[in-house]
Order: sequence, then structure tokens, then C-alpha cells
Amino acid sequence: MPRLLLWVRRELTGSLRARWFLAYSVIFFIGGLLLVTLGAGTTAIVGYRSFAKAFAGMIHIALLFVPLMALFPAAAAITEDRESGALEYFLAQPVTFGEIYAGKWAGMSVAVLLSLTIGFGTAGGVAVLRGVPPHWVMALFVFVALLALAFVAVGMCLSTIARTRARATTVGIVLWLVLVAFGSLGIITAFIRLGLPEASLVAWTFVNPVEAFRVGVIATLDTDLSLLGPIGAGIVQRIGIIGTVAVAMLSLGFWILGPGLAGWAWFRTVR
Amino acid sequence: MIRATGLATQLGRHWVLQDLDFTVQPGERIALLGLNGAGKTTLLRCLLGLVPFRGELWVGDRNVRSASRDARALIGYVPQRAPHFSGTLGEVVEFLTRLRQADSAMVHEKLAALGLSMDDHGHKALHTISGGMLQKVLLALALGERNPLLLLDEPTANLDPRARREFLRVVANADPQTTIMLASHRLADVEAVTDRLLVLHQGRIVFDGDRTDLRERLGALSVLWIKVPADRRSHAEAWLHSRRQLPPVLANGTAVGVRVDQTARIGILVGLREAGIPVEDFWVDSPSLHEILEHVLGEDSSTHGTAVTNGLTEP
Repeated sequence: MPRLLLWVRRELTGSLRARWFLAYSVIFFIGGLLLVTLGAGTTAIVGYRSFAKAFAGMIHIALLFVPLMALFPAAAAITEDRESGALEYFLAQPVTFGEIYAGKWAGMSVAVLLSLTIGFGTAGGVAVLRGVPPHWVMALFVFVALLALAFVAVGMCLSTIARTRARATTVGIVLWLVLVAFGSLGIITAFIRLGLPEASLVAWTFVNPVEAFRVGVIATLDTDLSLLGPIGAGIVQRIGIIGTVAVAMLSLGFWILGPGLAGWAWFRTVR
Repeated sequence: MIRATGLATQLGRHWVLQDLDFTVQPGERIALLGLNGAGKTTLLRCLLGLVPFRGELWVGDRNVRSASRDARALIGYVPQRAPHFSGTLGEVVEFLTRLRQADSAMVHEKLAALGLSMDDHGHKALHTISGGMLQKVLLALALGERNPLLLLDEPTANLDPRARREFLRVVANADPQTTIMLASHRLADVEAVTDRLLVLHQGRIVFDGDRTDLRERLGALSVLWIKVPADRRSHAEAWLHSRRQLPPVLANGTAVGVRVDQTARIGILVGLREAGIPVEDFWVDSPSLHEILEHVLGEDSSTHGTAVTNGLTEP
């Protein structure tokens, strides 16, 4: 078995055994179930349009816990081994830092995706059985997965830079708070105060991964983005609904590769 | 097996190793001796390619700078403190063995020889076993993988005396073709395993030679303690004083002591008895590492001053 796969397997095995994996799967399942049950309940009364609104409202729940749940274990991926002395021992073996980092990153990503699949996947299955269009469930799952992977990458990056797990986790939480606080309302307030043009406002929306997730997933449900108010109107006017979904995915893709590769570069040069 | 030329490395502005030149032949057993901060661990970390360095460093035919991974494939490593791995003993052994593409049966055999059979211990979570046992696991991995070079970084520092003896016994009985480099500040460990000493002080080599050479040269630093009846102690001290060739007499409350080399010890004991002073007990205190370094550095500056081969090196 190639060394990289050995690392992936080790990380995955460790994650599956860890309590966080089971806890997160249960939380994702309950959260997902609430999301589709409440949304589907609304559907029965007022139709899919209202379901979409309820669904979009529930997305905020995902915004609150998915990033943190991805961030916590990833922030420990390198720091934990560094604190225990295992990292130095591993680096003394005939492996490269790239193999260790890539293996941990991939293993952690797979573990988080597996947890999401068990939780959200089961809840999504229930939703489809209750009449929710499968492509809505699939779109939500894809965006939740991208958001989780983005925060796994952020966690991996922090895990290489910070010397301790506590520090990596703290910085991660602060970053998450800033990103959540700097949502649509924060962006609008900042732009009004600074008097910036509308075009840059749209751009800034996609710089924030949390906003990119919110806009992208809502765009799959609400084709005029009216749920997002003036920002939504501005975005649709400029790049259209398909463009919105594509740019949101690209933004999240950048947040997966950017911090992930930055962490690798840091690990390579500083360790 | 190891060739270092102009090896130097720094931490911040502080030079931890400075212009080290040495070679280690295959099968040689060499001790890195020095006080804390002398640069022993840093030298091992250089060999593992874990820290940047200046100069040339080769392990076998592999350049540590340009092919550190290949160089590490030749090295078995036991750190001072065993890391805390997650998983069971069996899982960790399997993972590390596969990582090195080694034969797990050999590792299991070494583990069994160290009293850690996989049948009895393989299922145990590693966080539940002691640090001493974990050190044995790492030693078994290093030996079982048949690495031509074994780097041991103060591996007995956290072991109790019995575990230490057992650990050293296994290391001493390693395959004679295995080159061993043991970093330590314990002379007893060094004597149990190695033949050659490389004494480091402030990042420089201050002695590089045979262990017995140093022992002979440091013999006069050993203290022979002699216990005599309390009412005869002043006689014993007077008798030792009367032997003009002997350095000053020491006393620790229960015994009198004198610094003499190995060849003079019997003569003193016999002389005391012939002088009618019964010897109740005697023992020898080896010089401390501090004393050795003072001696070596003193010789270095007073008698040699410049570079030395197979002896004192340039300060």
C-alpha cells in the first residue's frame, strides 16, 4: 500500500474511533431531519415556494455548526501529534512532510464527509421520501460538504501554524466568528459606511466562504435570490443564477485549496 | 556509515553545532557525550534531516540534505521520550512497520524478546502502557526493521534502573553490523554500549577517541573511598598524607577518599592494612561528566591548544 494511503487510513481509522465522529453524525442527522421535516411540513400547507423559504432559513443552522464541526478535529490534526511528540517521530521515518500532511488532510476530509453523509444523507433520504425534490437535497448536501471541506482546510492550515491545539482551535473560532459576523448585514453596513461600489459588494460576498455557501445554496432553491434582499438582487443582476451557483462553488473551492495548500507550504518550510 | 564535514547549524542567532568533522565506520558504536545543550540531540536531528544545516552530511551513500528521506530509510530512531501514539500497540506496530516497508515478523520477534509479545499486548491501547514499555516498542521497531544505523537519543532517561539495564542489554546485543550512535549524559550507559566517544561541548567536538583512552586518561579523576573504623580514621588520613605522591585526602563523614588511578588502588588498600589500619569497605566513584569536561577542556587549552586527531579537537 502506498505510504500516502497508509496515512489516510490511519487518520480515518482514528477519526472513526473518536467520539466526535459519532456525535457529529448524530447532530448532522438531527439537524438535517429538523430542516427537511419542518420545511416539508410547510410545503404541505403552502407549496414548494414557501418550503424554499423555510429551507433557506434552516440553512443558517448549518452555518452555525458545520464549520465548527469541521474545524475542531482538523485543528488538532497536526498540533496533537506535535504536542505528543509523535510528529517528530513520524518525520524521523522515511516519509516526506507532504505525505504526512496530505494523508492527514485527506483522511480528515473523508472522515468529515462520511459523518456528513451519515447524518445529512439519512436526513436527506427521509426528505426525499416525504416529497422534497431530490435535486434540492443533493444541492444542499453538495454545498454543506464544500463548506465542511473548506473549514477542514482552514483547520489543517491552523494546525500547522499554531504550536498547540488550543491555540489553533481558538484562532479558528475567532475566524469563524468574524466570517459569520461579516455576513450580508455586515457587508452592507461596511459598504454603506465606506461608500464602495455595488460591484465590489458582490465580489466581497463571495470572498467570505460562509456567505458563498449561503448565497450558493439559496440560489439552487430561490432562482431570483429574493430571499437575500438587495444583495441577492444585485448578484442575480450581474452574474445570473447559474453564475451565482458556479461562483459560490468556486469560492468554496478556493477556500478548500487555498488554506490547505498554505498549510502544506508552511509545514514544509517551518514544521 | 556517517560522514560529516563542516557541519554547523543554528537556532536563531545561536550556533548549536559548529564546524563538526567526523566519520563513523559501519558497525561502529559511538557515544555522543555532553552536558544538556551541548548539541547531541541537534546532531541526531541533523542526521534525520529534521533541521537545516551547513556543511556536508552523509548517511551511507545518501546525502542527508538532498535525499533526506532516503537517508532516513537507513536509520532506526529511538527518541528520549516515547511519543503518545493513538491506537493499540498492534495497530501502531503494523502502521510503522508498513511505513518502513519492513518485515513485521522481525519486529514481533524483537518485541517478544523484550517481554512484549503481540499476543499479550497487541490489543492494548498505547496510552495505557508505560513510557518504559513504549521505549522498548520503539527499540524493537528500530532493531526489527534491520536498519544499518541506530540513533538513540538518551533513550534511558525516563526508565527505571531495571528497565534501563534491560534496554541497554538489548542494544549491546544488537547485530554487530549495526552502527549505533547513542546520545547520553550517563557514563554508565555509554560504557555499556559503545566503544568510541564523541564529546560535545557548546556545539563543538572536544574529544573524539576510544572510550578506553579516555578512561585511562581520566583514571586519576576517580575517587577511591575507604571505610575504616572511626577511631582509626585520623591514622588513615595521616598515612594517606604521608604518601607524598597522592593528591589531597578527601573525607565524607564515614570514609576517607583519595583521587588515584586504577593502578594505584590495590597498593593503597594493601598499604593501609600493612600499616595496621583495617579496611572495612571501599568503593570507587567515577568522575562526573562535569569533571570529565573540565579535564578535557583543561587539557585542550593547556597542553594541546590546537587541533587534535583521535584525541582533543580544536577549540
